[in-house]
Order: sequence, then C-alpha cells, then structure tokens
Amino acid sequence: MQPLVGQPFRLGALFGALSRDGAFYAFVAPFALLTCLFGLWPILLSFQVSFTASATALRADASYVGLANYVAILSDPEFRASLWRTLTYTAFAVILNVGFALAMALLIDSRFITRGRTFFKIAIFLPVVTPDIAGYVAWKWLYDRSFGAINAVLDLLGMPAFGGLASVSTVTTAILIAELWHHAGFYIVIFLANLAVRDRTLDEAAAIDGATTWQRILYITIPQLRPAILINCVYALIQFLKTFTVVVVMTKGGPADTTNFVSYYAYQLFDQARYGEATAMASVLFGIIAIFALSAYALGNGERGR
Amino acid sequence: MSQTLFLARSLAYCIALVVSLLFLYPYWWMLLGAFRSAEAVMTTPLRLWPESIDFDAFFSVARVGGVPLWRYAMNSIIITGASTILAVFVTALGAYAIVRRRGHRLFEALRYVFLLTIMYPYMLLVIPVYIVMFKIGLLGSYAGIVLFLSMGPIQFFLFEQFFRSIPHEIIEAAAIDGASEWQILFKVVMPMAAPVVATVAVITFLLNWAQWFPVLVISRSPDTYTLPVALLSINGELGTNFQGIMALAVITTIPATIVFLLAQKRVMAGMAEGAVKG
Repeated sequence: MQPLVGQPFRLGALFGALSRDGAFYAFVAPFALLTCLFGLWPILLSFQVSFTASATALRADASYVGLANYVAILSDPEFRASLWRTLTYTAFAVILNVGFALAMALLIDSRFITRGRTFFKIAIFLPVVTPDIAGYVAWKWLYDRSFGAINAVLDLLGMPAFGGLASVSTVTTAILIAELWHHAGFYIVIFLANLAVRDRTLDEAAAIDGATTWQRILYITIPQLRPAILINCVYALIQFLKTFTVVVVMTKGGPADTTNFVSYYAYQLFDQARYGEATAMASVLFGIIAIFALSAYALGNGERGR
Repeated sequence: MSQTLFLARSLAYCIALVVSLLFLYPYWWMLLGAFRSAEAVMTTPLRLWPESIDFDAFFSVARVGGVPLWRYAMNSIIITGASTILAVFVTALGAYAIVRRRGHRLFEALRYVFLLTIMYPYMLLVIPVYIVMFKIGLLGSYAGIVLFLSMGPIQFFLFEQFFRSIPHEIIEAAAIDGASEWQILFKVVMPMAAPVVATVAVITFLLNWAQWFPVLVISRSPDTYTLPVALLSINGELGTNFQGIMALAVITTIPATIVFLLAQKRVMAGMAEGAVKG
C-alpha cells in the first residue's frame, strides 16, 4: 500500500486505498465463503458434536457430555486396536511407498535409462489419476481365488496360492500392494522433479575421483534429495493415516477387522448414528495428523535454516 | 568397462519395463474382463486376448440401481466440468488476493484456516458437511456437490506459487498507469497466468472425476450419482456380474485416461509443483 501521508489529496488517497482493499475483499470473497462453509464450519461442528450425547447430537438442544465420548472411545479396546492398526499400517505403507518411489525415480533418472523415460513415467503415474474406485475394483478381482490373475500366475510358477483379501494373514499385504499401485506415481514424480534440478557438479566430481555408482547414489544424490524425502514422507503419512477408499471397495474392514482402520471404524459409527463417538475419533485422528504435519513443517524450516 | 555398462543398462531396462508392465496390467485385465464371460475368465484367467469381441457387458450395465447409465455419465461430466470451472475462478481469485495482501491480518488468517481444513481427515469432514448442506438447503442438489468439489489444496498452492513469482514491478507499473485492481488482475495478471490456469483446470478435472465420497454423502438419491459412485454401488450389489462391473470400471477409467494422456507433461509437472509447495 502506498503511504497516505504527504500526498496532495489525502482524502482522495484514503478513498483510493479503501477501494483498492475493497477489490481484494471482492476477489477473496468466494474463496473465503467456501472455506468457511465447507471447511471451518464442518470442522467446528464436528468438534461440537464430539462433546454431545449421540442421541441428541443433531438436535438444537443437544445435551453436552463433556469428554465422555473421548473417554468412551479411548477405553474401547476395538478403537485402540483400530488406532494401533492404523499407525502400523501407515508406517509400513510410508516406508514401502517412499522407498519404492525413491528407487524407481533413481532408476528412471539414471544414466542407464536413455530412452523411454516418458513411457515409464506415464505407466507408473497413470494409476494416480485413475478413479480409485475403478482401480481398487480391478484389484479386488485380481486377488479373487477363482477369477484372479494373481493366483493363476502363482499356480503357473508352481508357487503356493496367495490368500489375497480372504485371509487374515495376507489381506494387509494385498491392500498395501493395491495402494502402492495407486499412490507411488505421485511420490515418484516429486522425486523426479527434485532430481531434475539437483546440483550435478558434486556428482561429476565424485565420478572423476572414481566413486562407484552406488557410492554416488548413497552419499551424494540421496542426501541432496532430503527435502523431497521429507515432503514425500509427510504426504504419505497424511495419506495413509486416512486410508479409507481401499477398505470400502475391497475389504469392508475385514476379514476379522484386520483392515478396520480408524476412518472406516468412525464411518461405521456414523452409520449407526453414534455421532458423538465418531466425531471424537475424527478429532483424535485430526490431532495425530496435525502433530505429524506441524512437526514435519518445523523440521523442514529447521533444515532450510541450516 | 563397456560390457559392465551394457549389463547395467540391460538390467535397468528390465526392471523399469517389468514394473511398468505390472502397473499397466490391471488396466488390460479390466478391459479383457469387460469382453470375457465369467466362465471363460474362470477357466483361463491369464488369456491376453478375448475369445470374441462383443459389447454385451456394456449393455448389461445400461441401468444401475434403477437409473440409466447415461444419467451417471452426464452427472459425471456436468459435476466435474462445473466444479473445475468454479475451482479455477475461486482459487485463482482467492490465492491472488491472499498473495497481494500478504501481511494483512484477515487474509493471513484465511490462509491458515484453509491450511487447517486440508489437514482434517477428508472422509470424516464429509459427514459434518452433510449437516451443513442440510442446514443451508443444498442437500441432494447438484449445486451442493459442485460447490464442495470447488476447493482443493493443489489448486491453491499452484496459483499461490505462480502469483508470488510475478515481479512486483509489473503490477506497480500498471498501477502507476492508472489501472484499477480489477484491470490489473484481468488485463495484466490473468493473461500471464494462462499456463497455470490450464494446469489447474486439467488437474482439477482429473481429481474431481475420481471423487466419490462427497458425491455419495451429499446425494439424496442415485439421480445425482457420478460414474465412480455407480461403480461402487454395483460392486456391492451384484457381486457376481463380474463382466458388467469390469465394463463400468472401463467406462469410468477411459475419460480420465484420455485427458491425462493428452496433458501428461502438464499434469505430472503440476502435481509435483503443487505438492512441493505444501
């Protein structure tokens, strides 16, 4: 904004400044409206409902029960199991996805791949923009015992059958693979974008000094990718803590609750009109995500400051 | 030495090719499934080509849940199209104002509120959104679905990043020439922003085409369902019409695939850029 003092027509300048700001208020109005209407309001509503008794939650005269819903869910062994399951699944999924994406990005970017980069990128990224419902429906049938191609291939190779979605011991692996298929392309593209802008002089110097390819990847390229690894880990963390669609399409939380993650569990409670407990679970999950996101943000700022 | 290089190169290509083909195989399997009967798939699951090409399966899903398929397709096109156009306008204007008024308390506060909302577990936010939609009378309406789908983090970050990169001198020069803020935005800034607008539009189209949960929650009947939601409902309902399910999966997937292939560079670069900012 221009300084108002010392200009010939102070009143005119003031009016000008106001109308300048006025234009920005007009620009931002639809964005602000939608953010409040479909972002802030529902979140506040969700917190509010988490302090009310489920039976009265949606009424104007809702009765408030303090932290009773939080106490109820935290003392519910099923919820605790679901939370623990969600956290371990997320840990596996983040390591698997980011690790796979890093390896594939390094491979596609390496000097050994000279042609066909675009093809490899498209093939791995396509599932990211494929409607997840369609992708997971296809995977669900790929895993099927009698229809599925996966067991047919294993059979052909003389290997034991894969239990897929039907067995407690294999269902987590099965959805990890399907989710890797859907999400990894996103992380790979982020790694590739960072690899493209990296400083290559160090790498070249190391090559002249006789460092092997592995040494250069380990000690030069990967350290340079640290910001990208951090960003990808945060994205993957937030993504997999919220794991939902794959469960809805492929397992419905089963078999024997093996894939009943927090967001699916909360959704089931919503379905049973247990709004208070469901929104309390939402708050807990939100708290966990916020802690991870904020500490990663702080970590990122710390790195930049060095 | 050159022999090791040849070996390394072959190995690299082998791995990249195998991974790529594994990633593409589900598409081929989906497509084959739409053309092959359930019995045929059961006896020879690994066939790479259908026994015969007929479109029966596609006609078998001509009606899903009592609603004609073309209606779901039209819903998908209308909802995705409208929300894409709206998203571009709303987030472009919003991000522009927030960037130009950086440091202004209200605008900063709005930015933080927005960042907060995108951290909230999406599928859990949608339920209170149901209550909000009910309160403002948009439940079950196209307007409700379209408005809800018009907000997204990647869109905002892409615009914000672009507007921040515009040199201050350009805007100051226009202001000195007597241009109003409206003229600066529409005559100076937006023409420069054309590539970002295109990127945001394509990405929003792809993301919203795939959306299903908000559509399901805000809808009151299958009349406002989109293709993915229809696919989800037959996935649950007719668990055994394997061929029909695959046909609908193909119909749902093809438009997104075509749009992506036409704009693949833009989409991949835009996704990476929008994410790195976050």
